Amino acid sequence: MLKILDRLEEILISLLMAGATLITFVSVVHRYLAGVAIPHLQDWLLSIDLSWSQELTVIMFVWMAKFGAAYGVRTGIHVGVDVLINRLSDKNRFKFIVIGLLAGAFFTGTIGTLGARFVWENGAHYAFLTARGLATGDLPEGPITPDLEWHTWMVYSAVPLGSWLMCFRFLQVAVAFIRTGELPHHDHGHVAGLEEEAPPKPGEEDRIYRMEDDLHPRDLHDGDEEERK
Amino acid sequence: MSVALIFGLLVVLMLTGMPISISLGLTVLTFLWTMTQVPIESVAMKLFTGIENFEIMAIPFFILAGNFLTHGGVARRMIRFATTMVGHWYGGLGLSGVVACALFAAISGSSPATVVAIGSILLPAMMKAGFPKRFGAGIITTSGALGILIPPSIVMVMYSVSTNTSVGALFMAGVVPGIVLASMLGFTTWYRARKFDYPRQPKATWAERFKAFRESIWGLLLIVVVMGGIYTGMFTPTEAAAVSAVYSFFIAVFVYKDLGFKDVPKVLLNSANMSAMLLYIITNAVLFSFLMTFQNIPQAMADWMIQEGPGVVGFLLIANILLLAAGNFMEASSIVLILAPILFPIAMKLGINPIHFGVMMVVNMEVGMCHPPVGLNLYVASGITKMGITELTVAVWPWLLTMLVFLALVTYWPPLSLWLPTTLGMIH
Repeated sequence: MLKILDRLEEILISLLMAGATLITFVSVVHRYLAGVAIPHLQDWLLSIDLSWSQELTVIMFVWMAKFGAAYGVRTGIHVGVDVLINRLSDKNRFKFIVIGLLAGAFFTGTIGTLGARFVWENGAHYAFLTARGLATGDLPEGPITPDLEWHTWMVYSAVPLGSWLMCFRFLQVAVAFIRTGELPHHDHGHVAGLEEEAPPKPGEEDRIYRMEDDLHPRDLHDGDEEERK
Repeated sequence: MSVALIFGLLVVLMLTGMPISISLGLTVLTFLWTMTQVPIESVAMKLFTGIENFEIMAIPFFILAGNFLTHGGVARRMIRFATTMVGHWYGGLGLSGVVACALFAAISGSSPATVVAIGSILLPAMMKAGFPKRFGAGIITTSGALGILIPPSIVMVMYSVSTNTSVGALFMAGVVPGIVLASMLGFTTWYRARKFDYPRQPKATWAERFKAFRESIWGLLLIVVVMGGIYTGMFTPTEAAAVSAVYSFFIAVFVYKDLGFKDVPKVLLNSANMSAMLLYIITNAVLFSFLMTFQNIPQAMADWMIQEGPGVVGFLLIANILLLAAGNFMEASSIVLILAPILFPIAMKLGINPIHFGVMMVVNMEVGMCHPPVGLNLYVASGITKMGITELTVAVWPWLLTMLVFLALVTYWPPLSLWLPTTLGMIH
């Protein structure tokens, strides 16, 4: 069940990334090709209206950002100021890391709830009642976006959905940390010596933001290792 | 009063080690809850509308383009081209490292990515050629920082978003300082190589040079596409970023074949991961600067600066010290997003050019990336060379000193950054 959620999350943000790139690229190409006088093709191109592409790109990226931020909690990519706590004893660091994770859960949970209320009051309630054939009274139908004319409550629901997911991820990471003392981060301990060091493998580019560089808290186990040495 | 409260809370929250984005958000939330009557739902929506801006979308596009380009093909050919051009001088491969970093910086918007792309290929080659490890590591760590000065640059997009300056003009303003810094780093390299008599490469013939140029043409063309496109007004910076993402996908998969089709989803996922992290900081920083404007803090600070103030020279000095100090704790994008909204209004009141101020901030960020405790470049280089941070810090200092000299130059000599955009008519 959780695996499915993980996969869905990954697929969603990858597709949004690819989709937004393609849309923007196509609209640029379209703008220039439509200016070239090729019979038929030009007429056909001119008949396509891509003025909505910018708005769609922005919406896709905001969704990508909200769900990607949740994914980022799972991969441990969010940067912080860890200069201080990385110098504390394991016991104290443990406390601070747990506080940090719970604060993250608290903030995202709050934002999710506030966002949900906003979405509900700005059209979702109306849509819900209409869908069930009930009277809407004086509830607002809610605004729509300028180009695509979508209901903004649908677009904005990225905030509650993404934030709640992020809240869930923070709690998930906190539970795992309390149990095992490990935080999600990229394991670059296996990286071989200088001679074999190659450019990052595809899909490892983000390791530059996931090193143990005082921008992220260290695992409890690192301290143990140092002691053993 | 409220200034001290807001910043006190922010600093305390950040020092607990929670993500910067969360500390920013919690500060705003706490403050609005306890001190003001602002409808709190509007805060949640700011998290959406804060990045509902087409300019910001250049960031994910540039990250995606950078990730397609990091896989060797483009970087290796650029290094070869640079080596045929400058490898026979003192400094040899080290000098080609500086040139290759500058070239790669012109297609990549991130410094650590430049260090990875050039360093992971060049450093092993330098060791084989008989250079000391420290020499190579020092060059790559600092030259890699050119990634955010020479356009395109993710940090510049962040600055222009938080201060409403033109991305295009800022990009153009980075060109000349970038070339000057590259020359200065090159000079330091040349000087030290001559002093210690490091090996040089055999001089390449013009035929070899031309061949290396032709092989690296696909990467070099991207510079023309991005800069030319923005300058001529063919694309907005965001569109240029999207075009360069598609272009880099094309050369990585079809021309240089560094990547197979099966790798593409992973690259997309990782780009999304990095972009989302940065966009999340942006949204929360937007909230934070909303709070500050609401409390009139930048305005009050600006007035105070003008009255008591040490004037332009003194303010620039204070700004530099503040930015360098922040570089000890935070990563570049967060610093720009938090400090630009505070420093910018003061700079405007003092009559400092917004573009010049932006370039100065970016150079500060470059310095911050190259020294401990949190310099990202340093950690990336340490990952590649397997050198400890302390040893690397020693290795870096001649070039870091060069960068500090350059910082003073950029700070107090505005024409260096303003000449090109003014000549091109992008600022008046």
